[in-house]
Amino acid sequence: MKKTSLFTICLTIFIVSWIFLRFVMGGIISAPIPNSVIAMYMGLILIAILVHVSVEDSRFTEFLRPVHETLVDDSKRTRRLVLVILIPLLMCGFSYTHIAQKTSPLGDPRQAHPKPPLELTYKDIVIDTMQDAQNPYRHYEKDDPELFKEHVDNGRRVYYQNCFYCHGDHLDGKGHFATALNPLPANFQDPGIIPNYQESFFFWRISKGGPGLPPAGTPWNTAMPIWEDFLTQEEIWDVIIFLSEYTGYTYRTFGEGH
Amino acid sequence: MRITMLTFTSLLILACVVPHPSYAQETPEGSLIGKQIYDKSCAHCHGLEGRGDGSAAENLLPRPRDFTRGLYKIRSTESGQLPTDKDLFDIITVGMPGTSMPEWETSLDVKEREEVVKYIKTFYSGFQENENPPREISLDDKIPYSQESVEIGKDLYVELGCVECHGKLGRGDGTSAPTLVDAWDFKTWPANLTENWNFRGGSDSEDIFKRFIGGIAGSPMPAFQGDTFYHFGLTAEQSEQYATLEKKVEDGEELTTEEEERAAQYFEINDTAATAALDWAEGLEMSPETLKIYNDAMKVVYEKSWHLANYVKSLSPEKRPDFAIGKHVLRSQYLQGELPALTDETWNTLDYSYYPLIGQIVVEPRQFNPSIDAVNVKSFYNDTEVAFLFSWDDKTHNTSEEENEETGKTYEDAIAIQFPVKPRKGPTDPKPYFIFGGRKPVYLWQWKASAPDTLTELTAKGINNVEEQEVQGDFAVESDYTDGRYMLWVKRSLKTDDKKDLQLDVATFVPIAFSVWDGGNGDIDTKRVISSWYSFVLEPLPSTRRFIYPPLVALLSFGLLVGLRRIVQRRNS
Amino acid sequence: MKTKMFLTLTLFLACGLALFVSADNHEEEEKNVLVFPKAYKAKSVSNGGKINGIVKFEGEAPEMKKLEITKDQATCGKTDKFDEALVVGEDNALKNTIVYLMDITQGKDFDAKAKKPEIDQKNCKFTPHVQIVPVKVRLTMLNGDNVTHNVNIADININKQQTRMIKRLRINAMPKPQGPFEVKCDIHGWMRAWVAFVPHPYFAVTNEKGEFSLENVPAGTYKLGYWHETLGNNNKEPVTVEVTAGGEVKQDFTLKMKK
Repeated sequence: MKKTSLFTICLTIFIVSWIFLRFVMGGIISAPIPNSVIAMYMGLILIAILVHVSVEDSRFTEFLRPVHETLVDDSKRTRRLVLVILIPLLMCGFSYTHIAQKTSPLGDPRQAHPKPPLELTYKDIVIDTMQDAQNPYRHYEKDDPELFKEHVDNGRRVYYQNCFYCHGDHLDGKGHFATALNPLPANFQDPGIIPNYQESFFFWRISKGGPGLPPAGTPWNTAMPIWEDFLTQEEIWDVIIFLSEYTGYTYRTFGEGH
Repeated sequence: MRITMLTFTSLLILACVVPHPSYAQETPEGSLIGKQIYDKSCAHCHGLEGRGDGSAAENLLPRPRDFTRGLYKIRSTESGQLPTDKDLFDIITVGMPGTSMPEWETSLDVKEREEVVKYIKTFYSGFQENENPPREISLDDKIPYSQESVEIGKDLYVELGCVECHGKLGRGDGTSAPTLVDAWDFKTWPANLTENWNFRGGSDSEDIFKRFIGGIAGSPMPAFQGDTFYHFGLTAEQSEQYATLEKKVEDGEELTTEEEERAAQYFEINDTAATAALDWAEGLEMSPETLKIYNDAMKVVYEKSWHLANYVKSLSPEKRPDFAIGKHVLRSQYLQGELPALTDETWNTLDYSYYPLIGQIVVEPRQFNPSIDAVNVKSFYNDTEVAFLFSWDDKTHNTSEEENEETGKTYEDAIAIQFPVKPRKGPTDPKPYFIFGGRKPVYLWQWKASAPDTLTELTAKGINNVEEQEVQGDFAVESDYTDGRYMLWVKRSLKTDDKKDLQLDVATFVPIAFSVWDGGNGDIDTKRVISSWYSFVLEPLPSTRRFIYPPLVALLSFGLLVGLRRIVQRRNS
Repeated sequence: MKTKMFLTLTLFLACGLALFVSADNHEEEEKNVLVFPKAYKAKSVSNGGKINGIVKFEGEAPEMKKLEITKDQATCGKTDKFDEALVVGEDNALKNTIVYLMDITQGKDFDAKAKKPEIDQKNCKFTPHVQIVPVKVRLTMLNGDNVTHNVNIADININKQQTRMIKRLRINAMPKPQGPFEVKCDIHGWMRAWVAFVPHPYFAVTNEKGEFSLENVPAGTYKLGYWHETLGNNNKEPVTVEVTAGGEVKQDFTLKMKK
C-alpha cells in the first residue's frame, strides 16, 4: 500500500482539529466555543504544522511534493482541473455570503458572577461585612430542629408565593414565566449554584435584585426584583434555608478551602 | 472483561427498571409515600387537605385544583364521570400548559407519581364509592383533519353557541367572557382558541375532542351530550324534513294529517333517543334495543364533535411562534415611497415578530396572572419615515375605568413601547432597566384605548418616575379592535428635532420592550404584562457590492493558481 | 414484629378513617343544607293532616337590585329583571322559601299525575326561581327564547348547552336526595335558580304571599324545617309540629338577615 503523504497527514490533522473544536468540544463543555477562539486555536495548529514540516529541508520538500505534483505533473491533470475550478468557486461563494450577511444585534456580554459589595445591607441597615454575615437562623439546625423546621416551612411559603413563577416548582429555573426571560432565572438544582456561594451572597442577590447589580454585572436584563421591598429580613433568610433544604445542597462557607 | 462489562450494564439497567425497594410492596404504605411527596411538592398550592388552598393559591389563576369535590377538568372520561388513574397520572406527568402546574416527569419517577395519584384520590370519597370504573370516551371513529372537516366544524361552532364565550374567531372574546366564574366562584376566562400552546389538556384533535364529549368539569365549558344537538337521533334527511315541518308550524301554516303524523313520528324518534341518552348518563340498565338507539344516535354526535375539534385545531398555528430573537429578530423592511396604512394589504407580505409577555411581578401592585400572551410586530421604513404595526389579543375591549358588579373593577386597555433614550454605544454599554428604566432613562410611546388615534411620548427613569415629554412629536396613529385583537399602527419620521426622542439609523440595532395593560383583567399602573428587552433593526437594502466583489475574488484566485503553476513549471525547467 | 405491624396498620386505618369522616362532615355542611330522612317509605295516606302557614321577613326589606342585562338585549332586555336572592312582597311576605318535613319516614307518594318539574328560561330568566325535583325524576329545561342558554349545576357536575334550537332539554335524574344547588346560565351571567332533589313530597315553596301548605301528612310529630337562599335554614333548631288525623296545624316563620 502506498504510504500516506506528509501533506495529507497534515491536512487531516488540520481538518479533524477544526471539526473537533467546532462540533465536539462545545458538546463536552456544554457551550459552543466562539468562532474567534476557534480561529486562534486553528492558527496555533497551523503554526505548529509549519514548524514541524520546515525543520528539515528534506521534510519540507516531501511536504510540498504533492502540491508540486498537482500543479505540474501530467498524471494529475484531472485533479488540477477540478481544483482550479473548485477553489475560485468556493472563494466566490464565501465572499458572497460574507457581504450579503445580515446585520446581527449587539451581544450582551455580562459578568455572570458579579462581585458583591463589601457590606451586606437590608434597605439601608448594615447587617455585617459580606464575609462575616451569617444566616441568623442557620444555627437552629443543630440547636432546635423544631424551630428550624418552622423556618424551612416559612421559606417554603415565601418561595411559592413569590419565587416559583420564574424559578419553578422544582427550583430548576423553569417557572411558567421563565421562558420569556433572558437571562434565564437561576437554577438552584444546578450543582454550580448553591455550593459556590455563601448565604450572604444569596441574601445580597435576593434583597437587591437586578437593579442592585454593579455596573460590571450589566448589561443585564435580569428581572430579579428588589425583594427587600416586599420581604422581611427573616423571610429572605428563611427562603435561603428552604433552597438548600429542598435541593439538598449546602452553601459555601468560608474556611472550607475554596 | 467483556462479561464483567455486560454484567455491570445489565445491573445498571436492572437498577433503573426494578422499583425502589421501599415501594416493593403494595401495602397501605402506598398512600403514605404519596402523602409525603404530596406534602413536599404539591401542598403549597393544592393545600394539605387537598382543598386547593395552599399558601401560593391566592395569587394563582386558574386556581390550583380543589380535590375534594371530584371535579376534574382534563379527563378521558364521559361527562359526569370521574377521571381514570391514567388521566390523573398524565396531568401530573406533563403538567397543564398556560397554568402554574408544571410537569413532574423530571422530578418524580413513575412509581412516585402513581403514589401521588393514589393519595390525591383519598381527598374525594366518590373514588371509593364508585364501583364501576369511569366510562372512557371512545376515540375509535376519529375523523382525520381535513379542510372539508374544518368547514363543517366551522358551522357547528356557530350553531352550538361556542361564539358566546370563545368569540367569533376563537380569541376568547365572546360577549359572555367577562362574566364567567367557575364552580368555586373564581373568575375564569374562556380559552383563546388561537393559542393552543396554552390548552390545558393538550392541543391534538383527540385532546380537544375529549374536552367536548367530557366537558371541562367545574368550568363553564359544557359537555356535549346527545340532546345538546339539534334533532338528536334523527338522520340528516329526517332532520331536514322535520325542520321544514317545524318551520311551517312556526309560520302558522296548517299541517296536513299526513304531515302531522310525520312530525309526531320525528318527535318520537328524537324523544326516544334523548331518553336513551339520559338513561346512559344516569348509568341505568338499558335494553339492547335502547342501547342500539343510543349508540346510533351518538355516532352523529361523535362525528360532529370530531369536525368541531378539527376546526378548533385549525385556529392555531402548528406551534407557538418563535420569539423575536436570533433569526426571528424584527427587521423593518425598506419600501420605496409611501408606507402602507393600517388596512393596507402590503402588510400581509411580512411575518410578525413575536414578543412574549409575562406578568409584572417586580413592583407592587403586581400581575401574577397575565392575560396577554404576546405582542406581534411588523415594520416598514422608507427614506424618511418608519411605520410599525403592533397587534395583540385582548379578550375584552375596555376604553375606560368601570365598576361592574359581575365583572368587578376594570380599567382602560393600553400599551407602551419602550426604547432607550440614548442608543447603545457597544456591547458593553448597559441597557436601561427593562421595566421603565432606572439610572438610565427610557423613551416610551404610550397608547390608550380611550384615545385610539393618539400617542403620547414619555420619558421614564423607573416605573414610578414617568414624565410626559414637553414637546410631543408628530405621529400618525391608527388603531382597531376587532374580534379580540388590537391593531395599532404608528408612523413617524426616522429623525426628529427633539433630543429626548428615539433617532433611528439604518442598520443599527435598537433595544425595544413592551408593557401592555389588559384593563379587563384588572391591569392598571404597575399591574400589567411586560416583556424583557428585545431589539429591532431597520434592515439595510442588501449591498450591490455582493455582485461585484465575489466574481473579482474568484478571478483573482484563479489567476493566482495559474501563476503558481507557471512559477513552479519555470523553476522545474 | 407482628405487634409493630399491627400498630402501624391500626394507626393508618385510624388516620384514614379520620380523613374520611372529616371529608364527609365538610360535604354535609356545604351541600346538604336540607335535612332528609335516612329512608322514606311511600304508602297510601288517608285522613292525613295539613300544615300551613306564612313565612315573613323581619325588618325592613331591602330594595330588589335591578340586574344589568349585558347581552342579547333583543330577547333578554324585554323585561326588567331583579335579583331574586331576597323577594319580599306585601306585608313582608317572603317568597321562595322551602318549608318541609325533616324527619318523615312514611307518607304519601309523589302525585303521579302532577306535571313533571320544569324550569323555563323565557326572556333569560329562570322560572320558577326555586324548583323542587323528586329523586329519580328528570328536570326539564325549556328554551322558548331565540338565544342559546346553558344549564350549569356545578355541584352535581351538570353543564349542558341548550342552543336556540333545542326547545326542551332534560337534566339527569338524581339517585339520592341532595341540594338545593345553584343553577346558572354561563352565557347570561345574571340568571340564577335553585333546585333541590328530594325523597318525599312534603316540600313546599312559598308563593308571593309567603304561603306554604303541606297536605295529607300522616298523624304524628314532625320536625318542620325551612331553607332560604339568603336567610339560611333552621337545621339546628327545627320547629316541632304535631299533626292529628284530619287536623290542620298552622305554623308561621319569621326570618331575618344573618349577621
